[in-house]
Amino acid sequence: MHDETFFTGGVFHESIEGGRSGAQIELGHDRVQAVTGDGERFFVQYSECQVDIGGYNDRMVFCRNEDRSLTIFCEDRKYPAALAYAAGGLLDEQLQERRQKLKSQNRRGHGMVLGVLVGAVVLIVGAYYGIQAAGVAAVKAVPVSVDEQIGQYSYESMDPGGAELHDEVVVAAIHEMVDRLAPHAALPDLKFEVHIIQASQINAFCLPGGVIVVYTGLIEAAEQPEQVAGVLAHEMAHATQRHGLQRISQSLGIAAAANLLIGDVEGILVLGSELFQLASINSYSRGQEGDADAEGVRMMHAAALDPLSMAQFFEIMKEQAGNLPAQLTWISTHPDHDARIISIREQMGTLPPQDYQTLDLDWEDVQSRIEKKADE
Amino acid sequence: MESEIRNRPAFANIRITLDPGDEVVAEADAMASMSASITMTTRWSGGVLRGIAKRIFGGESMFVNVFKAEEQSELVLTQPFPGDMECIDLKGTTMYLQPGAFIACDPGVKLGLGWAGIKMGIAREGLFRLKVSGEGRVWFGAYGGIFTREIEEEYIVDSGHLVAYEPSIGVRIGMAGGVISSLMSGEGLVTRVTGPGRIYMQSRSFGGLAAWTNAHLY
Repeated sequence: MHDETFFTGGVFHESIEGGRSGAQIELGHDRVQAVTGDGERFFVQYSECQVDIGGYNDRMVFCRNEDRSLTIFCEDRKYPAALAYAAGGLLDEQLQERRQKLKSQNRRGHGMVLGVLVGAVVLIVGAYYGIQAAGVAAVKAVPVSVDEQIGQYSYESMDPGGAELHDEVVVAAIHEMVDRLAPHAALPDLKFEVHIIQASQINAFCLPGGVIVVYTGLIEAAEQPEQVAGVLAHEMAHATQRHGLQRISQSLGIAAAANLLIGDVEGILVLGSELFQLASINSYSRGQEGDADAEGVRMMHAAALDPLSMAQFFEIMKEQAGNLPAQLTWISTHPDHDARIISIREQMGTLPPQDYQTLDLDWEDVQSRIEKKADE
Repeated sequence: MESEIRNRPAFANIRITLDPGDEVVAEADAMASMSASITMTTRWSGGVLRGIAKRIFGGESMFVNVFKAEEQSELVLTQPFPGDMECIDLKGTTMYLQPGAFIACDPGVKLGLGWAGIKMGIAREGLFRLKVSGEGRVWFGAYGGIFTREIEEEYIVDSGHLVAYEPSIGVRIGMAGGVISSLMSGEGLVTRVTGPGRIYMQSRSFGGLAAWTNAHLY
């Protein structure tokens, strides 16, 4: 039973100032009537009523007269049922048809919203990988001299955390390792430049363009020179695979990559060197670390140095981790070393047989010279 | 109380001449100048929670200022961006305003905040809209010129251009054309409005300005 006959709604008609007014809607026995606040009355006979449902919330019911010059509307939830009841079934068919039309429109609308949301997610994910791919592609097109300039800018303006060690034996030992590895680097024209810094931290890094920085703490921690060579191979791989420039291009976005391509190198040099100073030097992405490991293993193998040394150095770091956590900088910036040891061993299984040669170095002498310098 | 919108359309402002006892409710910071005899009081816009909600979701201030005239006086109201203003007279009717559009109203107008829906969020029209209803005048502003249209059948408005609309207006989001042409034309998503009812549109959009500025930063 729908005994409610009065509702709040409105009316559209040209005789009203402004063309519309709020009104009280009354459902009579043969008509729907609207009474405005000024007392004006408008009505539409049920027999000539053209019904529509819509409005912002899709629940406003409109009753229009035949020439559509008059529209009485109401949004009350109880109104449609009350109108149908008052009209004695005259408007049932129209109301049903409009509801069906609305449902169909809503289904399309919801499908569209879902499509837009899915599209947005696909676009964001695509843009993320697209920027990465564009960064890699742009870096490949940039001359290596840009890497070298960024590396030089960065090294000259950074505080390495200690004095440079010029002991000829130690320097010669590290050069021996680099010289052994360099001919097998993926970028044959890259000139590696080694700096040994007196500091207890067990760390090494390679700036773009091949500027290698090795801390004496790392040399002291290594049991064999091949283990240091393993770390160097990994760091040199970052330079040969141009991870630094990739990181800059990804950080600065496609615009920077485009600028590099069109020749605005100067601005990128400044931004790039600032980026390298602001961020942790070795904070390459997980993917880049994995790539550098794999490339380091390849270089070690090609240079007839046992790649297992790299894994052995990780194990030393693991053992010492409990005792010297604050100084294990190299390991802390290279996470998941357990997984990396496994990965190196797996890669070694795929390599062709090789007659590995040890480095002809008096390692004890190298380490003792570092100790001696530290005591001075 | 008489009102006049001056310096239209680019730098429109509202000059209201108040008779003794007249009151105007205005968005915080909308006052540009006023007679010294006018008393101004500040209150929460619809209560504490509603005021906060309007600030966060409606793009409006948490507070409204009520200007009351003790004698014949003048009040000038403005908006922070260049563009036209419009005055509508509510007669027991309701109007939805896009976030940031509201400037002032008569004391008899009720200000509320309504959920506009996800569809409006996607169309970049804002998830919430201001609902003004009751009896009295409402002044609102837009970026650029304001143009109005009585809607009967379906009509398309680009996103960011809809300023105000009646509750009888149905709003759906859609594409300007096919998928490819919508993307390539730069029109993207549009709002498809259906009548009966009236809509107010602005001739510029903030999104368009932001995109244009962004494109010229480099």
